[in-house]
Amino acid sequence: MNAASNNNSVVSARGLRKAYKDKLALDGTSFEIPAGRIVGLIGPNGAGKTTALKAILGLIPFEGELKVLGRDPRTQRDELMNDVCFIADVAVLPRWIRVREAIEFVAGVHPRFDRARCERFLAHTQLKPESRVRELSKGMIVQLHLALVMAIDAKLLVLDEPTLGLDILYRKQFYQRLLEDYFDEDKTILITTHQVEEVEHILTDVMFIRDGKVVLEAPMDAVGERYVEVMVNADSLEAARALRPIDERALPFGKTVMLFDGVPQPRLAAFGETRTPGLADLFVATMKGTYA
Amino acid sequence: MTAIQWSDGAPIYRQLKERVVAMMLDGVLKPGDALPSVRQVAAEYQLNPITVSRAYQELADEALVEKRRGLGMYVTEEASKKLLASERERFLTEEWPQVMERIQRLGLRADELLKSANGGTQ
Repeated sequence: MNAASNNNSVVSARGLRKAYKDKLALDGTSFEIPAGRIVGLIGPNGAGKTTALKAILGLIPFEGELKVLGRDPRTQRDELMNDVCFIADVAVLPRWIRVREAIEFVAGVHPRFDRARCERFLAHTQLKPESRVRELSKGMIVQLHLALVMAIDAKLLVLDEPTLGLDILYRKQFYQRLLEDYFDEDKTILITTHQVEEVEHILTDVMFIRDGKVVLEAPMDAVGERYVEVMVNADSLEAARALRPIDERALPFGKTVMLFDGVPQPRLAAFGETRTPGLADLFVATMKGTYA
Repeated sequence: MTAIQWSDGAPIYRQLKERVVAMMLDGVLKPGDALPSVRQVAAEYQLNPITVSRAYQELADEALVEKRRGLGMYVTEEASKKLLASERERFLTEEWPQVMERIQRLGLRADELLKSANGGTQ
């Protein structure tokens, strides 16, 4: 389609910069998002996650090179929006609108909206066509929003803290619907969230962002190979430290957990039991000192 | 919705594969049975579909399941035979030596073991 979009990247960002007052929200941010992936953009509060999403969606001006589906969101936003959908963490559905009216509205403005599909999704919920948004619980509003968005045949779906404030049943159901009825190899999903444990097995790729910079960008498989956590035995502490763990914490009963980056697992196995760190542990280790 | 605790020791796709293998050994999945679709498994266990596909691919590589075009994955006729052979092999090379070691450590004699195995406790 577009010669400028290299390989099959859905998003290609190079050297993004965005300052709010005197603080840089994006500071030379670069990343690539290939097609057919579920990518988690994870970072502490104020790291630049939402700013990055806004840049991708063409909602803010910024400096740097950014192509989304081969287009520049600053100048080709309208065309881009045919292929991109977005669920924000804040309620955007007007409180007075009825479910039926919301469906009619999206059907009217979006060429790729499939009304029957949307109604099929809603049939599995307790939402009634005549219900108004203001009568719905937070979980039901998200169900409505998700049904509207999943009925659009978009190439990129951007989710900003989609399950924030939902109870565990709604949260689980949210990702279940997304995986069962929406995601396929032609679609790409970009999620920001603080609920790292909740998405870690859903993600195919992960990006950590800190102070406006991408500090880790890798497929989940590669994360499992690159990082190893070791329960170091007391007599191996010095030898293990010599291999420069990126994090170390003491546990009760005299064990020490160390996290290594890029040291082969067989070499570490001599120090104690090894395992793949959870994304949450990796996140905490990577972001150490952020709020200090 | 079954909550599954994945362990940190092995990649998830391998744990999923082991789970399917265990179901075959237990006879829950029999030759000719269909596996649930990648999508269903992904949604149910909240895994990305690539992980599920990878587990299925390994099962297919070992000829335990086969892809029927447009229909999905099915347990092969020879799956139980293959599994039995490989599980026997694994028992003999991995588990049995440990059991043997324990028997020796406890100083148990062959006649005592046989007596117990033949229901000698009753």
